Amino acid sequence: MMADGSSDVCRPRDLILWTSRSRFGSSSILFSALSLSGCSGPHSALDPAGPEASHVAHLFFVMLIAGIIIWSAVVAALIYASRKKRVYSEQSAGRVILWCGAILPAIILCALLSYGVWLMPAVRPWLPDDQQVHRIEVTGEQFWWRVRYLDEAGEVMFETANEVRIPVGQPAHFLLKAVDVIHSFWVPSLGGKMDMIPGRTNPLTLMADREGIYRGVCAEFCGQSHALMAFTVRAVAPDEHEAWLVERQVPGPRDAEGLAVFLKNGCGACHAISGTAAAGRIGPELTAFGERGTLAAGTLPHTQEDIARFISYPERTKPGVKMPHFGMLPEDDIKTIAAFLKELK
Amino acid sequence: MKSVIPREVESLWTLFTAPTVWAIHFLGCYAAVAVYCAKAASLDFGFAVVRLALGGLTVLALMAIVLSAYLAWRQWGFGSGDPPHDEPTRRDRTLFQGFATLLLSGLSFVAVVYAAIPLIFIAECQR
Amino acid sequence: MVELGNFSPEERAAQEERLRSVWKTPGGWRYWTSVNNSEIGLWYGVTAFAFMLFAGLLGLLMRAQLATPNNDLISADLYNQAFTLHGTVMMFLFAVPIFEAVAIFLLPSMLGARELPFPRLSAFGFWSFLLGGIFVCGSIFFDSAPNAGWFMYPPLATDKEYAGIGADIWLLGLSFIEVASIAAAVEIIVGIMKCRAPGMRINMMPMFAWYLLIVAGMILFAFPPLIAGDILFEMERMFDWPFFDVSRGGDPLLWQHLFWIFGHPEVYIVFLPAIALMAMIVPTFSQRPIVGYSWIVLAAVGTGFLSFGLWVHHMFTTGLPQISLAFFSAASEAVAIPTGVQIFVFIATMLAGRVIFSVPMLFGAGGLAIFTIGGLTGVMVALAPFDWQAHDTYFIVAHLHYVLIGGMFFPIVAGIYYYFPFVTGKKLSAAWGKLAFWLMFVGFNLGFFPMHLSGLRGMPRRVFTYPEEFGWNLFNLVSTVGAFIFAAGVATFVIDILRPKPKTSGRNLNPWSAGTLEWTNDPQESWGMRSVPIITSRYPLWEQPDLQANIEAGRYYLPDAKSGKRETLVTSVLDAEPIQCLRVGGVSYVPMISALALGGVFIALTFHWWIPTIICAIITLIAIVWWLWTGTAQIPEAEKVDVGLGQELPVYVSGPASVGWWAMFITMVGDGTAFASLIFGYFFYWTVHDDFTTGAPGPGALWPMVALSLFIIAWLLTIVARHLNARGHPGCRLALAAGIFATVAACLAGLAGPYFHGMDPTSNVYPATVWVIVIWTVVHGAVGIVMQAYCLARNFAGRMTTEYDQDIRNVTLYWHFMAFTAVITFAVLGLFPMVSA
Repeated sequence: MMADGSSDVCRPRDLILWTSRSRFGSSSILFSALSLSGCSGPHSALDPAGPEASHVAHLFFVMLIAGIIIWSAVVAALIYASRKKRVYSEQSAGRVILWCGAILPAIILCALLSYGVWLMPAVRPWLPDDQQVHRIEVTGEQFWWRVRYLDEAGEVMFETANEVRIPVGQPAHFLLKAVDVIHSFWVPSLGGKMDMIPGRTNPLTLMADREGIYRGVCAEFCGQSHALMAFTVRAVAPDEHEAWLVERQVPGPRDAEGLAVFLKNGCGACHAISGTAAAGRIGPELTAFGERGTLAAGTLPHTQEDIARFISYPERTKPGVKMPHFGMLPEDDIKTIAAFLKELK
Repeated sequence: MKSVIPREVESLWTLFTAPTVWAIHFLGCYAAVAVYCAKAASLDFGFAVVRLALGGLTVLALMAIVLSAYLAWRQWGFGSGDPPHDEPTRRDRTLFQGFATLLLSGLSFVAVVYAAIPLIFIAECQR
Repeated sequence: MVELGNFSPEERAAQEERLRSVWKTPGGWRYWTSVNNSEIGLWYGVTAFAFMLFAGLLGLLMRAQLATPNNDLISADLYNQAFTLHGTVMMFLFAVPIFEAVAIFLLPSMLGARELPFPRLSAFGFWSFLLGGIFVCGSIFFDSAPNAGWFMYPPLATDKEYAGIGADIWLLGLSFIEVASIAAAVEIIVGIMKCRAPGMRINMMPMFAWYLLIVAGMILFAFPPLIAGDILFEMERMFDWPFFDVSRGGDPLLWQHLFWIFGHPEVYIVFLPAIALMAMIVPTFSQRPIVGYSWIVLAAVGTGFLSFGLWVHHMFTTGLPQISLAFFSAASEAVAIPTGVQIFVFIATMLAGRVIFSVPMLFGAGGLAIFTIGGLTGVMVALAPFDWQAHDTYFIVAHLHYVLIGGMFFPIVAGIYYYFPFVTGKKLSAAWGKLAFWLMFVGFNLGFFPMHLSGLRGMPRRVFTYPEEFGWNLFNLVSTVGAFIFAAGVATFVIDILRPKPKTSGRNLNPWSAGTLEWTNDPQESWGMRSVPIITSRYPLWEQPDLQANIEAGRYYLPDAKSGKRETLVTSVLDAEPIQCLRVGGVSYVPMISALALGGVFIALTFHWWIPTIICAIITLIAIVWWLWTGTAQIPEAEKVDVGLGQELPVYVSGPASVGWWAMFITMVGDGTAFASLIFGYFFYWTVHDDFTTGAPGPGALWPMVALSLFIIAWLLTIVARHLNARGHPGCRLALAAGIFATVAACLAGLAGPYFHGMDPTSNVYPATVWVIVIWTVVHGAVGIVMQAYCLARNFAGRMTTEYDQDIRNVTLYWHFMAFTAVITFAVLGLFPMVSA
């Protein structure tokens, strides 16, 4: 994220841009107040970039206004009741219970419930399992994301990790799985989360309204480094996305010397780089690793130094990670591998 | 009706009639859709049938609650006396039970109506 | 109107001497063998409060770690242990036990009873709680605390490499405490239904009793599913039965269902008693009876029911069909109605009264203001679309703390300020109280309000650290500062309790001028009520003139203790007419020994020490049988005794009139719920798999049907034995002996089904499920054998006769449930595979 420089610094300009973009008129002021520092960043449910997140932000705004009114009324009643001089009759106090405690809440809640239930199929519509569409299969693993692009027949086109590309303005259909423990897939700017449960496949459809880089995290506690399991969603123009899908299926140029060092040190046992002898399936796929914005599932910036650091002592960045440390390798080897990886397209 | 159910049901348990109807309705709805959506592939009827059946169950449940409310209202003397019903007499104890049962019937009625709202808006097993 | 007793001062002094010696709390180290409700309640409360302080320190540790981004104050692993233990201790070792403590302490006085019906059971519950709690909390000092979250989701929590012995400590330590909670629930239900003062009809019960009755009922249906879940979980961890292992047909979601069927009612189980305290405090300081008594009953009963239709809202993101989620949304919104009613009952009472704004009211009102925010965010997250965003973020952390601290902790503190004079005879300081309140109130809001914002801005829960570039830094720093201010408030409160208080002049039993019965008790005396009064009002101290004087003059029931035994009155359920003079258990080692031995079973199991497990189990069994043999259903010296006011009541009753029968009934309802949860598991696996037997052989139909028939025969023989005993026929012994043989055969036949069909419980979830249900039923059969044998022995020993037949009536009741269990077990296991195929 930091390497992209997309929004690591909060600028007042973002606030103005964002407010003018908002579709909810007066609500924008409140949202801005809620976002406090002005830009709530690429990782906020209050800065929606897709229809589901927008609907839910709107729902939240409606509930927030109602909530503020109700809370103020209750607290005002409480203060009045404790300070007043007058003593009300039991009958009139009883009517307060009936109207304010029972009837009014029942009506408000009925309306709210209808709104909420209506919203469910509206934001997550019916998509039969056998419908022929492109899907993206994301598998949660401790503590990273395996991403596979599937064609319309459900066959794997290629695999990548920790970064998802989707076309703007088109629904992206995810199939969410897990192999070890329960994880949860959440991109706040685009929509709500969906758990990844071993033995089950959960569908989720998200859409981005505008181009940008959005951050996602694992939302279900999944072990020691649960806090360090993030990913990136890049929403790009549809034609650019089509081109990328095609391009990604052909291996790019590789630095032969770097590849040799990579293979010599056994990295290929766990990691795969398509079109090479590295075909390990245990760790994240490294094909086109160089085009990613972050390292170690959204934990480190994507610089050569950080790559080298992570290879040497992954445990220091990510407690409980499966990758063994390679600090005993010659420093030059690590540097070469880091440089090689940084350039993989 | 009056001849079947004694005028003063001498029991604490009538208090729980309406909430129990809610519980049965709720579990019925939950179990029906859970089993249907899990086994849809091997069943030869659509989701509409389930919705319709649960709609029928809702009507039945509401009728049962209205009945319980009527009996409670009768036990409460058709609203002849106002609360608090705190006299140390058997009569006030009965009135109290009637009133509390009536209130619970009201709450259960609303809760059953709430539980029926999803049947209006959601037409498939989508997740 | 009955004529009240009238005693001369000499007679009264003699009565008091006898009462004092009967209810005397032993001195020295024998003090710990006490079973009196005021001792047990106090120990319970202090222990729970101490656990709360410990868990609070863990919370501060977490806040310190999160004060700044990328902080490395504590390791990821320690953080994970800390948040797991924080949640576990707060819920299981503080929130539930503190209310049990308050209930045990207050209920007898509120109801006008001398004691709850099973004081030794309370003592047993306390010792279980203490041992289990120390076991669970102590684990963190050995770096082996549970670390998979208080919700313990498999497969993370079944992963032996990640969740080592900590998970077993959680499962077994807490199962042990759950047993104690169910014991307390039995005690509370029977106490409230049967031990009220004469005249205290159900429309006269104190609000606290109404709430507690509902809460205890909820425990009965909420805890057993978790116990069933614990059994499945521990079978997987200990013996590799694959209930949650997907590779062998298991499913981690079953645990989530069972956990949350417990977990959501649990929230209301801790919330309702706190509101119950408010329902006692608000009328006192509004100087009038509560407005909307029936509405409170509506709220308590309504919440009790609806709270069981909410559990899936903790699972909104697990990918269940939307329509299922929506049903739970509906119930989650509906439960807000009774909650709103409760708040407005308090407001209405204040409107109709003249309010004195004291420290308890300050905490109560502050708590309500906080709780209302938690309630409103609860209404928000009850909608699935919003929850999809908010779930597992700091928004939820904020929501749940607003609910629990506002709805439970503040009212508890209010209750402690209110009832402190009841316990010690002295008030706490108003100045200290105000300081504590403002520190807590400001600190709390500063600490938890920003979490709403950090959550919506994308900060997930249960993270040991967070990156600096997402704008969460300020929120977290403020939260940490707020948490420490809140802690300062709690510390102020604790100091106020502990600091030496000046001697007060004069004796003032009712310093707040309250109207309810408990304020007639003198904290200096351990007998509770000096004499058990006749109640004609909801607020007897306000509306019954001379009540205090008459009670103290011994003019009501049970003014004396001539029998030298601890006695209390049992009355009828609806109209509270006196029906029995109940003799309750006194000072004894047995509860402590039984609890420690049972604790030994659980602790030894954790470490897989099989021999100590068996030894402790045998000691437990002997201790419990000894306890029952020497302490229950004792044949009295006379059929009836004088209870005062010219009335004579029986000492021994059996069947539905007796408290023992009720206790058995209630226990078996809870037991049946656990069994229903296992059956739910069976059908759950049926729904998740296309072919749930996966071609594995079932137990067949033959053996299950044989077992079923034998269980039915054993049940009928037990009933026959009861009838023969009632007629004084010696054939009773024969029937019991035959019943024992039939049960043994039934158990063997039950096991034969899966055994002879070679069902391997480690191979797949289907055989594992069949085995676990069969074992459940067989274990119940074994308990049934012990009971039949016990009756036989009592009969031979002359302790069970034609007239005094409580034992066999309770055993027959057990057998009704046993027969029901057997019918369901063997019909499902033997016949369902045929139907579904």
